[in-house]
Amino acid sequence: MSRHLAWFLSAVVMLAMSAPLQALNYEVGGCKTVTGYVNFTTISAAVAGVPAGSKILVCPGVYPEQVTITQPLTLKGIASGNASRAVIAINPNGNLAPNVTSITGQSLYAQLLVQNSTPNSPITVNIIGITVDGAGGNVGCGTDLAGIFYASGTSGTINEITARHQQSSDCGNGIWVENGAGLSQTITVENSSVHNMDGSGIVAISDQNPLTLTAAIRGNFVSDTAVSEPYGSTGIYAQGNSTAITGNIITGGTNVASQFTGIATDQNESGGGGITVSGNVVADIPEPHGESAGISPRNGTIVQSNKVSNVYVAFFPQAITVGPTIQSNTSMNTKYALAFNCIGNSTTSVSGNIFSDSGIGLDTVPSQALIGHNSFYNIDTVQADPCP
Amino acid sequence: MSQRLVWFFVSAVVAVSAPMEASNYQVGGCKPPLTNFPTIQAAVNSVPAGSTIQVCPGVYPEQVTITQPLTLLGVRAGNSNRAVIAINPTGGLAPNVTSIIGQGLYAQVLVQNVNPPGPVNITGITVDGGGGNVGCSTSVGLVGIFYAVGTSGTINEVTTRNHQSSGCGNSIWAENTAGATQIIRIENSSVRNFDNWGITAFSDQNTSTLTATINRNFINPASSALAVNAQGMVGSIANNVVTSAGVGIGSLAYAGPITVSGNTVADVVGGIGVEVTSGTTAASNKVSNMANAFYFPDGGATVKSNTVMNATYAFDLHCFVGSTVSANTVNDSQFGFQYPPW
Repeated sequence: MSRHLAWFLSAVVMLAMSAPLQALNYEVGGCKTVTGYVNFTTISAAVAGVPAGSKILVCPGVYPEQVTITQPLTLKGIASGNASRAVIAINPNGNLAPNVTSITGQSLYAQLLVQNSTPNSPITVNIIGITVDGAGGNVGCGTDLAGIFYASGTSGTINEITARHQQSSDCGNGIWVENGAGLSQTITVENSSVHNMDGSGIVAISDQNPLTLTAAIRGNFVSDTAVSEPYGSTGIYAQGNSTAITGNIITGGTNVASQFTGIATDQNESGGGGITVSGNVVADIPEPHGESAGISPRNGTIVQSNKVSNVYVAFFPQAITVGPTIQSNTSMNTKYALAFNCIGNSTTSVSGNIFSDSGIGLDTVPSQALIGHNSFYNIDTVQADPCP
Repeated sequence: MSQRLVWFFVSAVVAVSAPMEASNYQVGGCKPPLTNFPTIQAAVNSVPAGSTIQVCPGVYPEQVTITQPLTLLGVRAGNSNRAVIAINPTGGLAPNVTSIIGQGLYAQVLVQNVNPPGPVNITGITVDGGGGNVGCSTSVGLVGIFYAVGTSGTINEVTTRNHQSSGCGNSIWAENTAGATQIIRIENSSVRNFDNWGITAFSDQNTSTLTATINRNFINPASSALAVNAQGMVGSIANNVVTSAGVGIGSLAYAGPITVSGNTVADVVGGIGVEVTSGTTAASNKVSNMANAFYFPDGGATVKSNTVMNATYAFDLHCFVGSTVSANTVNDSQFGFQYPPW
């Protein structure tokens, strides 16, 4: 066989193999004027109209839609000319509707909903470089608002997105991912900017034992997430799943919160998996009411190598059956470096931390807790409020 | 000479040096049997050069001037671990040093004219400027810790707080002018609630005479102040967490290279995250929630591999040519490049 013929045959084979996948170039907004792109005028039309597995490029612009994705695809905001922001916004003419009920029973208005109608056949959806803006979407509290919602039976990656202004009478959330019964899912939320919520920034929940959700929440910036009393809110909240919360930056910003927690976890009491909180910075949440916390781990969460500053309580473990491990963290400029509320046991471990510039170092420490070697600098009272 | 005689002479030398031997001393009485001094000032005046002075928890309403190499170390006693150098509520705060910029300063801890030459190290001490408002002008200001011309040392795990003086309250200030290069390290410290400059490292020479390392500090001003003020120093500003400043890190590298890396700068609402001049390399910083993430007052800076989110302007280049801006990630900003020269 001549080399020419070989080349020809392989080209034919490649073309023939790729052809059934159909045209893989889809766009919304009309900025891709070169041939080969199929154009849609709305994101909703695109996500319903493309073949499964397609990539949809979204041109800069404002898209006042509620979008529901029910098939595997990638939604990617792109630059065009001098702009690089595609915004999914609240339609100023109304029509925002509740469209999903969480496994927690909470019903929500999701601006961008990823949902699976065939639970035994999970779908993977990736969202990249999109802004989801909740301004004008105050639907009250009771039925929450969410910027992006990944419902049960969905997997995927959320990367370099912006979620902002999800404010709904203290029930506005940025990104919410969850999984209930069924096949295990994997969701990554990374490199995203989440700000000006009045509920929670990033939420990952599973209610199953054994675990059905593995989540990675990494490299995100969460700020100006505030809620008025009596509701509490969190920058990042992980419940009942296997989650790595790594390298995020969570700050209070100008919107000083009441009852704000930078990172809160509620790991299953049993059932394997585990939640790790490492390498995060939680800062700048001064709290006039004495309720803000940097990191609040529940049960066996591992909390290590985080930096926490300018908060009321740096580390605040909640009810514990399996103790958290709190090691190699640094806290500065706090009222309390670590407060236990007398809840803990022999699996609670605190070691290798540096606690500096605090009114009280260790507070309400249960006698069973394993307090190893920690460094204290500039602490008014090293240990206070002994437990009965 | 017999062995006995040698032994005798050696003993004699030991006898002469013994009273001058650097050792451990204490202030506050919590560490018997160490020799105790009633005030920090009495201790730093009296101990042999190179000594370590352990400072017991408590409040010390003193202005302290250190003129010999030594280590000042805050220690734990019982359940308390905070030694506070505070403003004397009965008055007496006096201007005690003039900066090379001509400003007369009321320094709470002043390191100057160190003789014999050697480092002055301060560890685990809190310096509280509360009640020390001495006003504000080009000739008057307040400072928590001041390392004057010709001094070196390490500041580690200190807290400085409440340096508010009508806009002239400074936390930690190290400077040098002509003469031998000095080396200053400012690390692991909590610097907060000041109203002018947080950490200042300043040399006024064309070729820098101050090598500074500003690492792993947590800096949180009271108002729209400048958190890290690096002017004419050479060295590194790394892994700090800076929040709520007016300007997060100002790197004016006019006298030699400055590296700004691995810092987290956030919540500088309406202000500047990192100001970078020619000679500055800013790499792998995370900058979020502000007006100008990187601000270029001239050309020639290198800004690479940083992450910017939630800024009005990611790179405000002011039409200056010569800077290198590459491999950065910008998400969620109104303007990527403002006033680009191209």
